[in-house]
Amino acid sequence: MKILFVSRLERWVRAVRTITKYVELGQQLGHEVAVFGEPRDDLPSVPHSRDVKAFDFAVFVVYETADFPDLPHLAHLLDRIPKERRIIIDCTGVYNKTIAVEHDRNHWVKLNGHQDWEWIEGFAAVASRILQPTLTPLRDDVTSFLFFGYDPTAVVRPYRSPQEAAKAWCENGGKPYDVLYVGHNWQRWTQLKRFFEAIEPRRNRFGTIQLRGWAWDHRPDWAAANGIDGLDVDLALLERLGVKTDGPAMFDEVIGLQSLARFCPVFHRPLFNELGLVTNRTFETFCSDTIPLLMLPDQIVEKIHGSAALRLIPGEDLVARLDDIMHRPEFYWDAVLKTRAHLAAHHSYERRFEEMTAILDG
Amino acid sequence: MNILFMMDKRANAGSIQAVACYIRAGDEFSHNIALYGRPDPKYPGIRWSTELGAFDRVVLIVEEHINWLSGLPLIRLLSEVPRERRAILDTDGMYNPVLTVDMYDRNHADENGRACWVGRCAALADKILQPTLEPLEAEALPVPFYGYDPSLRVAPGARGKRFDIMHVGHNWWRWREVSSCLLPAIESIRPKLDGICFVGLWWDMVPGWVRDQNLELAIDLDSEQFRRLKIEVQQAVRFTEVVPVMSEGRVNIMTQRPLFRRLKLLTAKYFEIFCADTIPLVMLDPVHAESIYGPLGRELALHGNIAHRLLDAIESPTKYHEHVEKVRCHLATHHSYRNRVQELVRVLND
Repeated sequence: MKILFVSRLERWVRAVRTITKYVELGQQLGHEVAVFGEPRDDLPSVPHSRDVKAFDFAVFVVYETADFPDLPHLAHLLDRIPKERRIIIDCTGVYNKTIAVEHDRNHWVKLNGHQDWEWIEGFAAVASRILQPTLTPLRDDVTSFLFFGYDPTAVVRPYRSPQEAAKAWCENGGKPYDVLYVGHNWQRWTQLKRFFEAIEPRRNRFGTIQLRGWAWDHRPDWAAANGIDGLDVDLALLERLGVKTDGPAMFDEVIGLQSLARFCPVFHRPLFNELGLVTNRTFETFCSDTIPLLMLPDQIVEKIHGSAALRLIPGEDLVARLDDIMHRPEFYWDAVLKTRAHLAAHHSYERRFEEMTAILDG
Repeated sequence: MNILFMMDKRANAGSIQAVACYIRAGDEFSHNIALYGRPDPKYPGIRWSTELGAFDRVVLIVEEHINWLSGLPLIRLLSEVPRERRAILDTDGMYNPVLTVDMYDRNHADENGRACWVGRCAALADKILQPTLEPLEAEALPVPFYGYDPSLRVAPGARGKRFDIMHVGHNWWRWREVSSCLLPAIESIRPKLDGICFVGLWWDMVPGWVRDQNLELAIDLDSEQFRRLKIEVQQAVRFTEVVPVMSEGRVNIMTQRPLFRRLKLLTAKYFEIFCADTIPLVMLDPVHAESIYGPLGRELALHGNIAHRLLDAIESPTKYHEHVEKVRCHLATHHSYRNRVQELVRVLND
């Protein structure tokens, strides 16, 4: 099968890791997979093509309108690949009526001028099928396809037992960070704030804490100008906790970077929790040599990560749970390893690729 | 025929007046004409639609830039309207070779800019229309497009005259002609004139982004000269107010950017000014003025001794009003939007 992905790839955001994985895996499985566009020096292993007619299917991976190419390329693309051979993977749930959750929402009319009907009519016009990375799409005409997956070959340290993992984890000198969150300041601050406020009274129990991502050191002017909340930041709180901030990590550095921390929280945007949308990070954190703290709704964790992963949800008393992990790390590493096995069995990229080709085959 | 226009709509500029006129005239022929979008109170008289598939043709009204057509509307257009049902109206002559007029006005900054523009448009449609009777490029189809709508007329005396001379139009590639021809002429007769008013964007100050965008030539201004000549400046008005505002002047002057004059591109202003209760004087070549307005167009062309003609119009208005009335009859016969709708339908059907 010849598959052309259409999306705006940037090395520090959105689905770049996932798409590059599909390209790599597709080639291994004997498919021809490329990304629409000119070859890029910063993604040398990813084949790009504008030879639209050479492909059987176009898979649009859409977060925002910029994921669609501009003129004249979009016209060439749509003229040369018929609608029944195009699908859209709607990563942010825009193919729904407007939904607002806390400060978050699926349609940012103030930012892009597009209201819900435009997204719905636009997507319906482009593709024969709309897929969303959730187990529970709201619309009948949406197909559930999780898209993102787990890559067992990317696991930094594939421990044979929880004892081995716990021993390595407890060794001094190996982890420069106690807590590290890699992700951008976009609709996550409310949850991070709760996280930091919970550990603030016990600050002396933790070593270095770091935030890696875009705009953790300031609230962007345009957010204030447009009255957009959800990318706030409380610098005083971060300072009290000694939290260090740094810019975005490149997609191929994330797993290694997270392995430098004892704990890595996993947050989804409020909207994503509401819609059950998963992301690359839902799975990727389990590749790192760290204990993921799943700051996610129980039902999502149980359905996606499996029942063992419920132990990795800190619950109401975050500090108590962190204390418990530090006291008996084997118990929690057992959950991590079981979850890795579950993800490998149910959410591998091989499995995703099969699911996608089945969808494309109709 | 059902025709949907798509454009970068602006209430105080561009072709929005023409679209409103097409909608009205189309109704007389049972053509359903609308503008892409959702109802917006800033645009009275516009019929809106987002049902791209419900129209026989989509006409993209493209000015200097086409980057407004992006995102979801572009996606829907390309997906729902087959290429052969799309057409582009090139209002600014961008489809022509790179042209520079008097080392001043130009359609493209360079060949690369033209190639980019043409590439985008070629991806959208085969049919390129230009609002001129004499296109330079054989591939461009001549469609006058803009026209005269008598229903816009302001009755004589309905608006009090606040100014002797008015100029309604934006400070956009006009400064060289205004500063070198029009203002010196006005200066020479200023003591004999009452109020003078320029209405439009950027006559009060040059915006800060001009330098960033390398547009110093396009928007230039000598505010001191305006002060010395006691020229009042008013902000741009909504399209529905253009004709009424023009009617506050005894004489209205129409200037046109040099590129448009070279290409003989028509604009809405060619005809709006004759709907106003005023004496229109047009800074056009007399032959071109005659080709549009009929024989008396020459009498209303501001060409040569501008000061003399201005003063003559102020001091002997009856003669000019008679000329204007005859031109209006000519326009109603030859340039009504009834004609325009039929011409457009014909071209789109070919």
